[in-house]
Amino acid sequence: MKVEYANPFVQAAVETFQKEVGVRLSRKDLKVKNSPVPSQAVSIIIGVTGAVRGQVVLSLDENVAMAVTKAMLPGKLPAELKKLINSAVSELANIITGQASILLAGDHGKIDITPPAIVMGGGLSMDFLNLQTICLTFLSEVGSLELNIALTEGQT
Amino acid sequence: MKRGLIVDDATVMRMRLRDILQTKFEVVGEAENGQRALELYDQLKPDFVTMDITMAEMNGMDALKNLVARHPDAKVVMVSAMGQKAMVFEALSQGARDFIIKPFDPDRVVMAINRLFE
Repeated sequence: MKVEYANPFVQAAVETFQKEVGVRLSRKDLKVKNSPVPSQAVSIIIGVTGAVRGQVVLSLDENVAMAVTKAMLPGKLPAELKKLINSAVSELANIITGQASILLAGDHGKIDITPPAIVMGGGLSMDFLNLQTICLTFLSEVGSLELNIALTEGQT
Repeated sequence: MKRGLIVDDATVMRMRLRDILQTKFEVVGEAENGQRALELYDQLKPDFVTMDITMAEMNGMDALKNLVARHPDAKVVMVSAMGQKAMVFEALSQGARDFIIKPFDPDRVVMAINRLFE
């Protein structure tokens, strides 16, 4: 896992949050772990193939998930917003990963991503890649979130 | 009024695009993947299509190729987070008329669709 893979995700997360949610993210922490297992209540898993490959897992608490949904769909009623949380946070993860892949692919590479898979609530067991992972944590006025980046060099 | 078909796997994005487009155009259908987009295009014969790329079943790039092969005059605007140079080039060379990268400004979407009919 190259540490330079982290910067495009930091930039993509900060810019996407500002634009889509209207909230400023500040980076709290960076740590290295052995797999992208997330630690918060709502997690979105995206597979990456091409010039880099692996998994990206965005994980956020329920307050942040609701704030994201509310910001993406202004004017909708709370009951309606609750049903749309999965879709909103999945799209957010898709946009962050898409934006980061523009930076990672550069002028010549090509990176593809899978449609997001979402896991909500605790007590669930899932298989994640055993791949050295950079775990970035961010703070915001609506709560915290975590970005687990488990990527390795792929085919160009 | 020009009639549009929205193709995106995310309900939230389809709702947002509908809200934006309905100010100037008629939205006649929504599809959540490329396969459904091809079916709805044949049924509804829209004047334009907004097409996401990352979708299950059939992705937007394959749907674009299929659609343009069957309807060479189809007016397709890609709306995707996958704005890498290689992807933008591939989509435009396969017949897409424009490529909007998410996150987008609502005005950019309306402007792209307006330009299709100038």
